[in-house]
Amino acid sequence: MTEAEFVRAYEIVGADFTNAGRASTSIKETLKNMGLASALIRRVAIAAYEAEMNTVMYARRATMTLHVTPADVTIDVQDEGPGIPDIQLAMQEGYSTATAAMREMGFGAGMGLPNIRRNADQFAITSEVNRGTALVMTVHVG
Amino acid sequence: MSEARLADTGVPAGSSGAAALTLAGVCAAIGAEALWCPAPDVAAAGVVAADLMSDVLVDARPGFVLVTGLVNVQVIRTAAIADLAAVVFARGKAVPPDVLDLARQMSVPVFACPDSLFETAGRLYAAIGGGRAQPGAGRPA
Ligand SMILES: Nc1ncnc2c1ncn2[C@@H]1O[C@H](COP(=O)(O)OP(=O)(O)OP(=O)(O)O)[C@@H](O)[C@H]1O
Ligand SMILES: [Mg+2]
Repeated sequence: MTEAEFVRAYEIVGADFTNAGRASTSIKETLKNMGLASALIRRVAIAAYEAEMNTVMYARRATMTLHVTPADVTIDVQDEGPGIPDIQLAMQEGYSTATAAMREMGFGAGMGLPNIRRNADQFAITSEVNRGTALVMTVHVG
Repeated sequence: MSEARLADTGVPAGSSGAAALTLAGVCAAIGAEALWCPAPDVAAAGVVAADLMSDVLVDARPGFVLVTGLVNVQVIRTAAIADLAAVVFARGKAVPPDVLDLARQMSVPVFACPDSLFETAGRLYAAIGGGRAQPGAGRPA
């Protein structure tokens, strides 16, 4: 951790669809106030929102942490939940285990994880069944 | 802002030559009602039609208008996250107050249109041309 690092953590509650997306919205606002380029902010915001929605849909709770340095913006998401048994399958475009109720709310395209990878310069996902999932995504500044 | 004003301005102020469709032009092209639109002269860079929000986040570019048959707060949050220009709620579905409140709070202009998603998107496709603002677009027939 460098001196210039800015860190902010957000707590996310599973199945709380009323507040779902608020953490990502706050992250977007924070990056805007830092004066970062709008294209970069948009990539981070989209990746954060997809990750946040996944934890709301599938996990019990999660912590999403924003790290900003002069060199890059990193979002770290750790959840407690069912985990992902087959990450390769989950990363495929169109693969989704979203319920009918989730689809009615506009989720379940199976595009979230691929979209996170597409928007991030670096992306790592690890998961343990019955424990949880961890995501780290980084977008380089400049 | 009045609907009359929305109906008679289809081209962004100060643009020359290749005119892009504005939000007012979008509204006029589909006969929509402006539920909240403080700046009708804002340009619509393109249109995306979808009911699944991750598809929107994949397909839309900044400044696009989202046409959707889904009405909930996540539509507004998705539009704000993706820097969209506006949301059009098709199919004449009632837009609940919490959705409108969030739209105002997040500065996402919202329109309502009684027609199906197919018809609404079709009219916008004709007006704007396949997701790109094209010369001559913006003057609804
Ligand atoms: N945090 C998580 N915990 C448990 N399972 C997850 C988690 N994130 C994703 N998954 C699993 O991976 C699948 C694919 O996720 P992805 O985000 O790509 O699509 P989706 O959430 O189903 O739909 P969309 O994101 O397009 O609305 C999910 O359907 C789910 O089975
Ligand atoms: Mg998802």
